[in-house]
Amino acid sequence: MIVLDNVTKFFKTKKGKKYILKNVSMTIPEGVNVGILGVNGAGKSTFLRILGGIDFPNSGRVISNKTFSWPLGLAGGFQGSMTGKQNVRFVARIFGKSEEEIKEIIEFVKDFSELGDYFDMPIKTYSSGMKSRLNFGLSLAFDFDYILIDETLSVGDSRFKKKSKEALMKKIEKSNVLMVSHSMSDLKNICDVGIVLNNGKISYFDDINDAINVYKEINEA
Amino acid sequence: MKKRSSLKIFFSVVKALLLREIQTRFGSQKLGYLWAVVEPMATIIVFAIIKELLHPNAMPGIDYPVFLASGFVAYFMFKNIVVRSMSSFSANKGLFVYKQVKPFDTIISRALLEFFLTVIIVILFLFIGWYLGFDVVPKNPLMVIVAYIWFAIFGLSLGILFAVLGFFFQNFSKIINLVFLPLFFISALFYTLDALPPIVRDILLLNPIVHFEEMIHANYFDGLSKEYYNYTYMALWTVMPMFLGLWLYRKTERKIIMS
Repeated sequence: MIVLDNVTKFFKTKKGKKYILKNVSMTIPEGVNVGILGVNGAGKSTFLRILGGIDFPNSGRVISNKTFSWPLGLAGGFQGSMTGKQNVRFVARIFGKSEEEIKEIIEFVKDFSELGDYFDMPIKTYSSGMKSRLNFGLSLAFDFDYILIDETLSVGDSRFKKKSKEALMKKIEKSNVLMVSHSMSDLKNICDVGIVLNNGKISYFDDINDAINVYKEINEA
Repeated sequence: MKKRSSLKIFFSVVKALLLREIQTRFGSQKLGYLWAVVEPMATIIVFAIIKELLHPNAMPGIDYPVFLASGFVAYFMFKNIVVRSMSSFSANKGLFVYKQVKPFDTIISRALLEFFLTVIIVILFLFIGWYLGFDVVPKNPLMVIVAYIWFAIFGLSLGILFAVLGFFFQNFSKIINLVFLPLFFISALFYTLDALPPIVRDILLLNPIVHFEEMIHANYFDGLSKEYYNYTYMALWTVMPMFLGLWLYRKTERKIIMS
C-alpha cells in the first residue's frame, strides 16, 4: 500500500509554478499493478521518482513500508568509465548482498542482458538499447515489492522485448509494477489499475481501461 | 526484499562507493596509481635540491628530505580530501537514482580513500627513506599519527562545507582551487616558523594548515619548537566548518539528490 497525504509538487518556471500534484491525497491499494498516464510534461516520471524516494514533494508525505526499485528508464545510474559487470557489482553491493550472492547476480544479469563481450566493456561504449537491457536485467536480480518502469519495455529487438515481457510477467507474480508508458497494449497487458495525471490533478481508476479512455479524451482535447 | 537499518545501508553504500572509487580514482590506467607516489616524491626531491643549493647548513641534525616528506604527504592528503570531496556530488550525481546512495556517503568514501592512500604512501616512503639511510623514525610517533588523523578530519570538515557550497555556487570550487596555489608556500611545508621573523610568523599562524604542519614537524624531529601550534585554534577550524557544513547539508540534501 502506498499512501499520498496531501502531496504537492511543482516546478518553478518563468511563467510561475507548474503543478504536477496539487494537494493530492490518495491510496494505492496492496497487490495491484499500476499504469501511470498523462500527456508529455504532465510529470509522470517525476511522480514515479517521488514514489521511488529519489524525488521529494514540496509539501505533504508519501508513506509506504514497501521496497521500490530505482526507476528503470533509458538513462541509468551507470558510470560510463566502468564496465557493465563493475556497475552490476556496485549496485549489488549497495543492496548489501554478500560476495556469494553478488557472483550469482552477475551471472544472472550477464546471461539475461545478452551483452556478450560488452559486459566487460565500459558502459560508455554501449548503445542506449544495451544500457537499458543491462538496467532491466539488473532490476530483475532483486526482489522489490514494486518495480518502477519508465518506458523501458519499449527497447530492444522484438525477440528481446518478448523475453523481457515474459520475465516481467513472471516477476509480477510476486512483485508489483508502477509503470509509465505510452504503449496502451503494454498497459492493458500488465496493469490492473490506472492513474491519470493532468494539470496537477490526479485521477485513480480501478480499471486500467477506464484510465486509458480518460487519457485518450484528454489527449484529443 | 528485507528492510535494512539505515546504519547498515550507510555502511554497505560507503563500502560499495569506496571499492568503486578505487577503480576510478586514477582513471582506467593502472599508471595512475604510480602518479600518487611520484607527485609527492618529485616535489620532495626538487625542494631538497633547492635547499641544498641555498641553505646547506639550515636545520642541522635533521634529515631535510624526511622533514619535507612528513609535511608534504600530510598536506597532499589534506588538499586531496578537500578537493575530491568538493567535486563528489557532481561526479556521483548519476548514482542518486539509487535511493540508498546519499550525497553525504560519496564524500565519506572519497575522504576515506584519500586517507587509505596516504597510509600506503607513508609506509612506502618510510621504507624508501630507511633504505636510503635517513633517520625516518619519528620522535613521538603517536602524536604524529594523531596530527595526521586530525588533519584528515579537518580536510573532511572543510570538504563537507565546500561540497555543499560548491554545488550551489559554481564559481566557489574554482576559487578554492585558486586558493590552494599560494597555500603551498604559506603553510610551513618546507621551513619552520621558528626560522621566520615574528611578524611574518604571526600572519602565517592565521592559516590553520600551518598549525597542523608545525604539530607534525615538532613531534617528528628533535629540537624543533612546539610553541607555535595551538590546539584550540585547530579544533575551532575543525569543528566550525563541520557543523556549518552538516547543517547546510541537511537543509539541502533533497535538492542535491533531485538535481
